[in-house]
Amino acid sequence: MHTRLQLPQGASCFTFDEARRRRALEAQVISVFEGWAYDEIVPPLFDDAATFDPSLASKLYTFTGRDGTTLALRPDFTSLVAKIAAGRLLQVKAPLRLYYSGEVVRYEPPRAGRQSEFHQMGLEFLGGGGSAADIEVLVIAIECLEAVGVTDFVLALGHAGVVTALLDEAGFRDSDPPRQAALESLNRRDPAGLVRALDAVTGSEVARRALMGLAEDDGIRQSISSARQVLGGVGRASAALDDLEAITVTLERAGLGGRVAIDLSESRSLDYYTGVVFRIYGGGLGFEVGGGGRYDSLLEGLGRPMPAIGFMLGLDRLTLLVERQVTAARDAVEAPAPVHGNSLAERVLDARAQRNRGARIRFGDLA
Amino acid sequence: MTLTIALSKGRLLSGAEAIFTAAGMGFPPQDSRRLIIDVGDLRFLFVKDMDVPVYVEYGVADAGICGSDVLLEAGSDVLVPLDLGYGRCRMVLAAPPDRGFDEVWPTTLRVATKYPRMALGFFEARGLAAEVVKLQGSVEIAPGLGLADCIVDMVETGRTLRENGLVVVAEMASTSARLVVNRASDHTKRADVASLIARLRSHL
Repeated sequence: MHTRLQLPQGASCFTFDEARRRRALEAQVISVFEGWAYDEIVPPLFDDAATFDPSLASKLYTFTGRDGTTLALRPDFTSLVAKIAAGRLLQVKAPLRLYYSGEVVRYEPPRAGRQSEFHQMGLEFLGGGGSAADIEVLVIAIECLEAVGVTDFVLALGHAGVVTALLDEAGFRDSDPPRQAALESLNRRDPAGLVRALDAVTGSEVARRALMGLAEDDGIRQSISSARQVLGGVGRASAALDDLEAITVTLERAGLGGRVAIDLSESRSLDYYTGVVFRIYGGGLGFEVGGGGRYDSLLEGLGRPMPAIGFMLGLDRLTLLVERQVTAARDAVEAPAPVHGNSLAERVLDARAQRNRGARIRFGDLA
Repeated sequence: MTLTIALSKGRLLSGAEAIFTAAGMGFPPQDSRRLIIDVGDLRFLFVKDMDVPVYVEYGVADAGICGSDVLLEAGSDVLVPLDLGYGRCRMVLAAPPDRGFDEVWPTTLRVATKYPRMALGFFEARGLAAEVVKLQGSVEIAPGLGLADCIVDMVETGRTLRENGLVVVAEMASTSARLVVNRASDHTKRADVASLIARLRSHL
């Protein structure tokens, strides 16, 4: 049979220095996770397709198991980690601090910075509730970027409760098409689109004005105090702002205020996230390098109710970001030492002696 | 260089010049053949109109100006904070008057267009399968020559349609020039992006 030399679209392959650099970055990030006393979890490569978040259903690579069940390659880690925590790790007392590093597979149309196969490194703080857990995860995320030498980066912070409360009050019902249109418009910061979506519903005038404010007024979107004046009347949104403010005040006092920026229009995956959400951006890279947030209702659905927050970094994007920002000479790989000897056996002896001293060698051909 | 702006040398260029000039931000001279021009603290890139959202999505440009038709077709993940209000057009489905579009639509359709994604999406939403013939321009002649049953195209005045014996069957979208912004630049260059949006908005 003829082998096609080209890889399928979306498949990834790394070699030589590229592979070495990725591995080194991965090790640096993992050492940060370990340093904050997170334990590694190595989840399975595939599981029942139903395990994974329904929003990813159209992106799954599925196959049929020998017993006829529909299986899927893992498209993310969080749902697997949560399932294992609620099952196999049921006897282990919460909180659980777990980290992972590995490939996920997800069908993505070829676009900026997206492959179908990519490497995620992240952590889940299961049972971690309240501001202390939020802060812990945000500070670890910041340290990961610092650890790999990235200096120009920012965490854009939002809160799922803000947009959810405003959409409810403005009259959008769950999974209405207009609600989806409104979310999409907020996500693209498209005031024209939001006006059209708002035309389809009737509800609180305060909430409508606040939504428009988030879409078109940077002052409201980027400042908790300005936002409070506009959406203070919507109780749940106001509570979400309090939540967020507690986080930013703490980070500022800890000298990390410059690392975060408020973006209240954040409206990703609102059926999943319940609290603080963030995306990580670095100067010189046009797309996010990672992100995360609080998801307090996922574990309940699995029979082990507890709050949870997590985040992840894309290794491939992080590698790009480091290439753009860290110009300092990379550690050149030491050239391998030659191996000597008049026979193959002598050369083996010499090779093993050098290796015992930790030398990097090239066995090479008999001279 | 604070911000890089992607523009296309098409029908939206003079409107872009008018707004940038009115906002006191300067604009590259239009007699130049150079494709990258620095003016003050802005860098301008001149690219094909369909490529503007691509440059912005990848972050090669922080912002750009393109028609909402291009955005709909490209499906790029960019922010669209400002409707610049000029360059208004309609995206329409048009066909010769005798092709039966006034009653039951034909079940198999061949459509000629520069906008395959929009055309397919439109027909899919009506439960119709369409075969798209992707053309680079002059799509109006395709039905008369038997290349296609209908076209999906941008219409400004409707004169080209009329002169080629076509009538509008359905309006799909009304379009205009939009400011698009890269998601990362929105945060990593927050002050510059906010000031660009504010200055352009105050001169619409």
